Amino acid sequence: MDTTFAQSRRRDLILAIFLAALAAVVPFFVKDVNIQNIMVLTLMWAALSQSWNILSGYCGQISLGHALYFGLGAYTTTLLFTKFGVLPWFGMVAGGTISALIALGLGYPTFRLRGHYFVIATIVIAEIGLLLFHNWDYAGAALGIDVPVRGDSWAKFQFTRSKLPYYYFALVFCCVAWLVTWKLENSKWGFWWRAVKDNPDAAESLGVVVFNSKMGAAAISAFMTAIGGAFYAQYVSYIDPDSVMTFQFSLLMALPAVLGGIGTLWGPVLGAVILIPLTELTRNYLGGSGRGVDLILYGAVIVLISLARPEGLIGLFSRKPASKGVPQ
Amino acid sequence: MTTPLLETRGVWQRFGGLIANSDVSISVGAGEIVGLIGPNGAGKSTLFNLIAGVLPPTQGSIWFNGEDVTRMPAAERCQRGIARTFQVVKSFETMTVIDNVIVGALVRTTVMRDARRKAQEVLEFCGLGARANVLASQLIPSEKRRLEVARALATEPKLLLLDECLTGLTPLEAQSGVALVRKVRETGVTVLMVEHVMEIVMPLVDRAIVLNLGKVLVEGKPTDVVRHPEVISAYLGDRHAISA
Repeated sequence: MDTTFAQSRRRDLILAIFLAALAAVVPFFVKDVNIQNIMVLTLMWAALSQSWNILSGYCGQISLGHALYFGLGAYTTTLLFTKFGVLPWFGMVAGGTISALIALGLGYPTFRLRGHYFVIATIVIAEIGLLLFHNWDYAGAALGIDVPVRGDSWAKFQFTRSKLPYYYFALVFCCVAWLVTWKLENSKWGFWWRAVKDNPDAAESLGVVVFNSKMGAAAISAFMTAIGGAFYAQYVSYIDPDSVMTFQFSLLMALPAVLGGIGTLWGPVLGAVILIPLTELTRNYLGGSGRGVDLILYGAVIVLISLARPEGLIGLFSRKPASKGVPQ
Repeated sequence: MTTPLLETRGVWQRFGGLIANSDVSISVGAGEIVGLIGPNGAGKSTLFNLIAGVLPPTQGSIWFNGEDVTRMPAAERCQRGIARTFQVVKSFETMTVIDNVIVGALVRTTVMRDARRKAQEVLEFCGLGARANVLASQLIPSEKRRLEVARALATEPKLLLLDECLTGLTPLEAQSGVALVRKVRETGVTVLMVEHVMEIVMPLVDRAIVLNLGKVLVEGKPTDVVRHPEVISAYLGDRHAISA
């Protein structure tokens, strides 16, 4: 019993290492810049969705306001770099820390809400953040901030000639997000979170401090999301409120996890690998003149999957007992 | 007399105009199996929830193991050694049976391997060993009741609160449930159980406390309690009390 469990954990780890190694060599064969761009975005969204999954998938506190943390990460790094010359690496950590603290501050009142009310609160709070940044002159208000080009270097995390450094950073980010989840899944926190999601009253009666476990999930989730935001700012070199903090970003973080399998280790990666190339490719080929066609296709895929596989695509590969069928 | 493991002192609970418990003082000694019985609406579940820490009483105090726990949240009471089951089972449905129990075991250890071993032991003890890797949602109702008990036992309680865990089972299932409660007590755990099916509880408990209309009506040996005219009248109406 114990050994099958340990085996399945080890299998996950080996599969992850294999996939990461595979992803590491892909750029040697794929030279097309457009495709490389899609690969960078896929890895980034996989990592972001993995972060979102910690709070919303494992702990069950559905957030549709993670754009706030994404934006905070992007703005913190960029502001620190442009105004004070602080290297983006430090900015990243600062952005993560600020986001985690804000998540804790916001969690204090909002975690008293349950179900839909919590979701609505997260949307509203992220919108407030968006409005504040729209009107904050120091941070460029609606005009946004250009990240000044200071030459290619790892120290400044700027690369104008090649996408590869961004690609490898995104790969590492994705691996770290996966590893954090893998580690947490089999820890006291992971069990507490799933218990809180399934039944907070029963969890409380078994010694789970429900409020604290939600706060812990929120802080970790926000920190990692902000790292993604900081990376994105460096990647696109220009940010304004609408390009880093709109509701669409919150949705984009949720969708891969929901599509792939919410509250599962592989769900976000699987969802992102399918969803992000699909979005980017449909936008490339169908976007522009026929605006919205890409979104129609996107919506259709989600509807189809939720009809066929309500538990997410991961259900196709499930090793664990399915929700129906014969007990082992 | 030694200090009881659990004691409620003059506990009142009001919900608006409704008085669910009025001046309830009961005590449970270490090692006892005590039945808390009474007709529907007697205030059993309210008192049970007050002891488990779902909400604090309007008035009065609750003492556990010599400590005032009146305002202590449920999670902290669990750490002190009070565990409970729910009348309407509250399994973690998306988790496997063993994972459900691990949640309980994690109160005493943070080492996952130990928690897993403990959970497996408790499952064997409760007769669910073979179902460890099944999703909780796949269990049949009587197994879910056992899972409630297993999860609570994994927290290594001093006091186990059972909320109608034998109600609604088939006679055979109820029999094995009774056997399980006896086995639990043999391991040194004190049991306070709420039931309203008298014939199941009475042979099992050392002492019965009868609640009616929010007050303690009678308390004593089960054999005395069932013959008590006031108990019969509370359960069956005055006519039966006279004929008894």
